[in-house]
Amino acid sequence: MLKTTRRKVLKGAAALATTAALPKGAYAQGEPIKIGILTPLTGAGGNDGPRMLKAMTAVFEEVNKQGGVLGRKIETVVEDDQTNPEAAVRAARKLIEVNKVPMILGTWASAVTAAVAPVCWESKTFLMTVSGADSITLLPHQGFLIRTQPTSKLQATAHGEFLWAQGGRKVAIIGIQAPFAMANKEHLEATLKPKGGEIVSHIIYEKDKPTYRSEIDQMMRGKPDYIYTNGYAPDTVVLLRDMFRAGINLPKFAQSYAVPQPTLDTIPAEVSANVFTGQPSADIESPAYKLAAARIGEKEPDGYVSQATDWASLAVLTIAKAKAVSGVAMKDNVRKICQGSGQKVYSAVEGLKVLAEGKEINYEGASGPCDFTDIGDILGCRFRYMHVVKGKLEFLKLV
Amino acid sequence: MEVLQLIVNGLMAGTILAVPAIGLTAIFAVLRFTNFALASHMTIGAFAGFVANVTFGLPAVASLAFAFLIAGLVGVISDELVLKPFRRSGFITTAIGSIALTIALENLVRFIFGNQLRGYDLPIQRDWSFSGIRVSPQQVENFVVAVIVMAMLFAFLAFTRTGKSMRAVADNPMLAAIKGINANVVARLVSFVAMGLAGLGGMLIGLDTTIDPLIGFKTILQIFAAAVVGGLGSIPGAVVGALVVGVGEELSLLVLSPAYRTAVGFIAILIVLTFRPRGILGQRAY
Repeated sequence: MLKTTRRKVLKGAAALATTAALPKGAYAQGEPIKIGILTPLTGAGGNDGPRMLKAMTAVFEEVNKQGGVLGRKIETVVEDDQTNPEAAVRAARKLIEVNKVPMILGTWASAVTAAVAPVCWESKTFLMTVSGADSITLLPHQGFLIRTQPTSKLQATAHGEFLWAQGGRKVAIIGIQAPFAMANKEHLEATLKPKGGEIVSHIIYEKDKPTYRSEIDQMMRGKPDYIYTNGYAPDTVVLLRDMFRAGINLPKFAQSYAVPQPTLDTIPAEVSANVFTGQPSADIESPAYKLAAARIGEKEPDGYVSQATDWASLAVLTIAKAKAVSGVAMKDNVRKICQGSGQKVYSAVEGLKVLAEGKEINYEGASGPCDFTDIGDILGCRFRYMHVVKGKLEFLKLV
Repeated sequence: MEVLQLIVNGLMAGTILAVPAIGLTAIFAVLRFTNFALASHMTIGAFAGFVANVTFGLPAVASLAFAFLIAGLVGVISDELVLKPFRRSGFITTAIGSIALTIALENLVRFIFGNQLRGYDLPIQRDWSFSGIRVSPQQVENFVVAVIVMAMLFAFLAFTRTGKSMRAVADNPMLAAIKGINANVVARLVSFVAMGLAGLGGMLIGLDTTIDPLIGFKTILQIFAAAVVGGLGSIPGAVVGALVVGVGEELSLLVLSPAYRTAVGFIAILIVLTFRPRGILGQRAY
């Protein structure tokens, strides 16, 4: 039977103190590298978060099977950001302070990223995100943040072109209170106005309301011919239902994450008639995309799954290139493996092999080329548009 | 015309809020603590109604009854097992315990049903229009259900022996005990009825929107505001408070951006409590 004595306690405490005082490099080789994952598993992003998590896990498993990176396995520490800034900050602090992760992958909502980013850069933790609000990369993040999602400007400009091509001349915007709300309006206006179009009403509503009847009435006073919705799935469904009830049959545009197929399945087909969706497209012709699809066993991974695949690959390859595991190493080295004139690689495992040969690499991702500006934005991407026909999403065009 | 439409919208929204608000206030009247676990019981009711409607193919009214029954039963069990032992430690401990309970129960629902949005298998009808004022048939149905349920509750409290016992315990627990009223039985009964109403309210909101495990959590602050504005502990007060919050939020759109709607409920709390610290109708249960 184990007996606790004063001597044993002192010995234990001394051992613990010695271990804590050791520099990181003095740990036995083979100790896992911990990577923080902070996706929305619940809340408005609950449809995308789990799929993104699955994509990242698949990449890390593939790398681990090949022996890991720097002779160490990758171990993920997963937290749920609940699509809620307050919960996300708590989870991020736990990942950073308790689990000591050098990077966090996965914030989704812009409000969440805006809240988590300062916690990250203050602790020199690297953050990768899909949040699109322009303001995100304008934060003083000191290089500790990159995003694979196009900015609000890139997105809203592309949406404006789409709306114009669809015949939208008097556009009403009805969107959720979020960091991207005002920016989207400005960029849509900047795209439509020179062509002769206009924004006839702009309503920002609060999330989690059981009805938006009065907001819709306000919006319709501008007599629009096209409605641009700009919310998340729970509120967009309420909007669509209320617009149907009010007898509004105008064409409606929504971000693809606001009306994914499982959400469309919760409402009668007539409610989602005349809805168009758009999303930054994965680079569906790239070898990285095909590898990602095979890895997770999905026929057509969407933009979020593709971006998550790229984060995991960028994380692994940057660690290998830097030969170090820290947020600073990530910041200083991430652009060295994904842009420039190195040999093109399409997966983490392939990149590790080329790096081991002492060559430079240029990772080309499933979501796109993964070339980043100084402030952490991607340089460009494609957009995929869908049309809801009888309650089902059907491919319309790739731009 | 615009004002009239906003008032109609507010009355519809307020009536639905009133149903769970009655539950919150009834528990406060009898058991003397704010039971935030009401949120998870709204979720449980919404999902029970979903099972009844989508899995068993029952119509809306029967599903609502099922939602009431299941949420009520879970309410009795959770109160008996979790909150009753807390009550000995006082109001604050029990209220905090109820927050922990609600998070646990919501996650249980998430574990069973997953996280995705769901909808009832019911058609959505276009609005009716009366001289330019639009009313949704679904909202009218919800309004009628809410009014009938509230009328039944008032009749139960006014005319039945059990209802009178509940009021007696709410008004003066010591006197009620001397008169031989079993406080435990009344506590179980009030938990059943209050959480049943929460479940019913959860499904009524779900009928208008979609359901997910956070459906109760999203509305609990508004319900709390309604109960406090009306007078926490007063059942008619909960109805008045819900209508004030519902109509107030809508009318605020005349001067404020919709982005500030929720603030109205809480500004109402500040104003009402400044002038009437016990709420519009005070704290008398009935």
